[in-house]
Amino acid sequence: MQERDAREQAAKPPSILLEDLRLTLASAAGPVNILNGVSLTVARGEAVALLGPSGSGKSSLLMVAAGLETPTAGRVSVAGRVLSGLGEDALARFRREHVGIVFQSFHLIPTMTALENVAVPLELLGRSDAFARAEDALLHVGLQHRLEHYPGQLSGGEQQRVALARAIVHEPEVLFADEPTGNLDGATGTAIVDLLFSLRARVGATLFLVTHEEALAQRCDRTLRMKDGLIVADTLILPRIAGEGDHAQHGGGG
Amino acid sequence: MRTPSPASPLLSVTSLKKSVPGGRVLFDGLDMAVAPGEFVAIMGESGAGKSTLLNLIAGLDTADSGSIAIRGTVLDGLDDDARTKLRLAAIGFVFQAFHILPHLTLAQNVALPLVLQHMKAREAEERAHAMLASAGLSGRGNDFPRALSGGELQRVAIARALVHKPALILADEPTGNLDPETAARILELFATAVRESGAGVLLVTHSHVAAAVADRTLLLARSGLREHDGR
Amino acid sequence: MNAFALALRFARRELRSGLAGFRIFLAALTLGVAAIAGVGSLGEAFLTGLSEQGRTLLGGDVRLQRMYEPAGEAERKFLASYGRITESAAMRSMAADAKDQTKRTLIELRAVDRSYPLLGETVVSPAMPLQTAISCDTQTCGTAVEAALLARLGLKVGDTIHIGSSDFLVRAQIVSEPDRISGGFTLGPHVLVGMDGLQRAGLITPGSLINYAYRVAFAGNAEPKDFRNEVAQKFPRGVWEVNDRDNALPQVRRFVEQATMFLTLVGLTALIVAGVGAGQAVEAFLERRRVTIATLKAMGAEGRHIFLIYLTQIMAVASVGIVLGLILGAAFPFAVQHLAGDAIPAPAHYALYPGPLLLAALFGALAALGFAVPPLARAREIAPAGLFRDLVSPSSRQGRWPYRLTAAGAFAAIAALSVLLSPYPWFNLAFLGGTIGVLIVLRLIALGVRWGIARVPRRRSQSLRLALANLTRPGTPAAGIIVALGLGLTLLSTVTLIQGTVEAQIEDQLPSRSPSFLFVDIQKDQADAFSKRVQSFGTNTDFSLTPMLRARIVKLKGVPTEKATIAADSRWAVNGDRNLTYSASKPNNARVVEGPQWWPAEYSGPTLVSFDKDLAKGMGLKIGDTITISLLGREIDLRIFNLRDIDFRNAGLNFILTVSPGIVDKAPHAFFSSVRVAPADEDALFSAVSGSFPNVTVVRVKETLAQVGEMLATLARGIEIASLITILAGVLVLAGAIAAGHRARLYDAVVLKVLGATRGRLAVVYVIEYGLLGAFAGLAAAIAGATAAWAVAHFVLEVPFVFQPRTLFFTIAGGSLATLFLGLSGGFAALAAKPAKRLRNP
Repeated sequence: MQERDAREQAAKPPSILLEDLRLTLASAAGPVNILNGVSLTVARGEAVALLGPSGSGKSSLLMVAAGLETPTAGRVSVAGRVLSGLGEDALARFRREHVGIVFQSFHLIPTMTALENVAVPLELLGRSDAFARAEDALLHVGLQHRLEHYPGQLSGGEQQRVALARAIVHEPEVLFADEPTGNLDGATGTAIVDLLFSLRARVGATLFLVTHEEALAQRCDRTLRMKDGLIVADTLILPRIAGEGDHAQHGGGG
Repeated sequence: MRTPSPASPLLSVTSLKKSVPGGRVLFDGLDMAVAPGEFVAIMGESGAGKSTLLNLIAGLDTADSGSIAIRGTVLDGLDDDARTKLRLAAIGFVFQAFHILPHLTLAQNVALPLVLQHMKAREAEERAHAMLASAGLSGRGNDFPRALSGGELQRVAIARALVHKPALILADEPTGNLDPETAARILELFATAVRESGAGVLLVTHSHVAAAVADRTLLLARSGLREHDGR
Repeated sequence: MNAFALALRFARRELRSGLAGFRIFLAALTLGVAAIAGVGSLGEAFLTGLSEQGRTLLGGDVRLQRMYEPAGEAERKFLASYGRITESAAMRSMAADAKDQTKRTLIELRAVDRSYPLLGETVVSPAMPLQTAISCDTQTCGTAVEAALLARLGLKVGDTIHIGSSDFLVRAQIVSEPDRISGGFTLGPHVLVGMDGLQRAGLITPGSLINYAYRVAFAGNAEPKDFRNEVAQKFPRGVWEVNDRDNALPQVRRFVEQATMFLTLVGLTALIVAGVGAGQAVEAFLERRRVTIATLKAMGAEGRHIFLIYLTQIMAVASVGIVLGLILGAAFPFAVQHLAGDAIPAPAHYALYPGPLLLAALFGALAALGFAVPPLARAREIAPAGLFRDLVSPSSRQGRWPYRLTAAGAFAAIAALSVLLSPYPWFNLAFLGGTIGVLIVLRLIALGVRWGIARVPRRRSQSLRLALANLTRPGTPAAGIIVALGLGLTLLSTVTLIQGTVEAQIEDQLPSRSPSFLFVDIQKDQADAFSKRVQSFGTNTDFSLTPMLRARIVKLKGVPTEKATIAADSRWAVNGDRNLTYSASKPNNARVVEGPQWWPAEYSGPTLVSFDKDLAKGMGLKIGDTITISLLGREIDLRIFNLRDIDFRNAGLNFILTVSPGIVDKAPHAFFSSVRVAPADEDALFSAVSGSFPNVTVVRVKETLAQVGEMLATLARGIEIASLITILAGVLVLAGAIAAGHRARLYDAVVLKVLGATRGRLAVVYVIEYGLLGAFAGLAAAIAGATAAWAVAHFVLEVPFVFQPRTLFFTIAGGSLATLFLGLSGGFAALAAKPAKRLRNP
């Protein structure tokens, strides 16, 4: 049965397909090359971690993949849609249907309550049940008693939980997370990571996780390492869970 | 490993008590001594008051009770200006968020403590350039911070912290915003630089890797500081 | 529609937390709208008053007037053919307490016939018809007088006064006259008598300066211009001065014109400055929302969502500001009426005028739109990643062209509306053009400052270097501050320089070594006795006795004056009667600068004239040319013999036309005299002259000067208040600009403090930085303001511009200090903040 799942998975189009991505930004000291030709394939349902030193370009790679930044050259396809050549509005529409994002700094809207924050993606989609589903999502992250609180009244961990709820409330195909525990201390961070993985399992989303914590990367199916704008290492990690036998391996990406 | 000489401590904290505005007591009856040239790390859970402790030592905040003395000068009786002057003369800072001023060049940033000490412009910038070189950023003194990565910014910060040869360095999670590889390099630079300068260091962190560089590690809890043995 | 509903919902959530973040935007918009609404309402009040009351003010549909001679039979028949007429004769004279004739004072005497007034009603107290009050019986004639006269002589209704050679019983006090404006400048209180009363007073002597006026209320459908045409055909030119109901009281109209133009100046400038402030506030607001906008985009909000969400908020706040502004503006005319209504020499109809209010609301909305759209359009375009990066330099990417067009369209609409709907469109056009010019100049100066600062060599002072670095950082509000402050200060300098110029103009006209007395209407046969009497006072100096006539210049070199080319600043000489005198020999104080010194003493040929050299230049005349005057109904040619440089300061009256005797002296005329005596002798001289020569009008110059001084003071106060409004707008903009850079400054200050900068040290940096800013802005404003004031003085007011360095200096200093104060207070707030919070990991 798992083999059939695996074959089905492999038959679906990849969640993320990047071909020779380049990104050059202007700065006072001249143009800076952030990405120097990144190519990557992430299959549907995979959990991928991206590690690398600061300045390696990993956050920028996430931005491009999530459609938040337009690359200088190269092709981007996410969730079966080609992003290259799309205007900002088209990218926005794409994001609201297929992508959920969790940021290091939470980025909740300070003038909206937790419930309203979580409802935003659904409101943008024009869903009439936006608030009901938002309440549901907040329940799943254990904040059902905090619906009417504003971000300023929540602790760091609680804010990130709201952000998590917001990221999956519209059941996106891909979940992007940029240093989700960066602003949290050890215990809280661990709790958030647990929640992240359980939510993504519930929704069945592909996970693209940028982090610098090895331990966090170990929980993913696959780890990539970046340096100086290029992917320099791509390891496949087999999850060893006692009693379940071997899974078929996913095809490795380049 | 150097042995502390309690006879003439660089930094001496006695019976320090501090509570937050909400009323919660961060610590009470805290004692600590740092000898000249000693490298001390303080660990503890977030919210335990590590940064607050640094602020108190830097004279940026006042304690409820207790006493802090730097090179024999007691902070408590001093007014704001006097504490600022003491800070300028005796302390260098490295922050988690770098805090490099965006509208000044790297050299101008590094030269700031010297400028504040009324050093002549030319001399100050020469020393700044030299300091940047020894931090691995030679020739980049006229760049602006915009173009730099996190690791490079922290190098600038380290250069700034040491340029005026202070007796004490206060470092608050210096590697918190850096990935492991960069963090390791920065720690190496930091450790070398401070040992060369002979300054004492008080490093606050929740990373064991960072704390490993110190001569001595303390653990901050409500009851005060105690030695931390485990790694 | 869906997007709009969504935007509304999101906008409402953001506005829930209150308007605190919009304070400056709100204040700026309120001020701008209030200014336009206020000045528009006041201007409308003036214009309505003038046009409504034109006919009543004139006292008829048309009015003819001339000096010296009443209308003849033929003239009366002609006038009566148009409708009902009324005759009046006005002159200056003296009134005394009948019981103690040493108590005398100057009055404006007006005699009216039984048909007076044709329109409206003269209200007196105790209430009675005017004709009853001023009727004559065999013994006495009655009179109605203004309260000021009773006060000056210490009398009351029921007492008797003495005018000329007759007693008059004060039967009533004048409360209001339908054809006289209260306020303005008068030499003496009004006194009304009947025509027969004037006869009995014996004041109608040949050559006495009596102004006869005939008012006609048209019976049929005749138009004033038909009347004018007939007058021009029937009567020689220059005999009669004709006014009609559409331009009654040209001085009043001129006042209203100038007042409205000035108000427009203030109003539009306030709107522009406030608009700039509003624009800055919007930019600052969007900067604060940068991360939220990026987050919404990341969640999938499209550009139009972002645009609508924030436009909704801005326009909602703008509406509040507009309403507040309208309320303030509508109240403004009533405030003026309450505070200064009596002092305004123009009829004004103080009421609520919806027109200006609607216009102001429209302007406010357009301005808000115009200033809000460009930054919104930019924010719309930026990719989320860019927004998340902590950009210090703003994106230079422009919005899409429909947005830019909208903003440009909004401004063009404001400009077009203000020009088209103004009573003086050319003025508005010139003003708007000038403002754009000023803005461009200020912008250039701001850029120049940045360029120059970047090239300043290394200085020894570190504080200076830090200050300079702060000024030139990317995203610095320095340019905005210079423009804002510069604009406000420019207006202030312009206004105060104009005020000073006007004051100087008036002072110039007043004698600097003024005589103590002026005497008018000295008869020929009194001349000798009069001279002896006056000169019997030992302390007398500068005694002059000159014949005085009034004549009008009607032709220059044979060309009628309406058609001749006359320079703007010489026009005044052909508008109305001028003083004329004759002299066989050169007068003592005459300075002949061109031509022979004087005609021979025994000359009696064709009349020669000694003319003013500046007027000659302005009229294109040289020696040998002919000026034609109309004197007592006759046209007389005068050939220019020489030109004098008349110093308008050293004489009581100025004679532009001094002619050779032979013809002119044959006309009936009286004499004019002026003299200076020691203050101790003034009262004695007054009693002596008015006792022995009761028909002579005596003007005490000191009193006159005091009155003029009071008027100027009121005018100056009004101007100051108006300028204050613009300064307020400028301050707001300044505050906005400084607040815009506040967060960055806060951050810097904290970091510097941690590194070891004392508050004193930081204060020095701020002082230098803001001091420099203020000085640059002030300097720019001084240049721009002086230029603008010169332009207004030269082209609009037609007076010579007087440069006042002191005024300029105080303007610059004031502006710099204001900048300094605001910047420092913001800075000190920054210094007081707890460093710990600011330095936590962002």
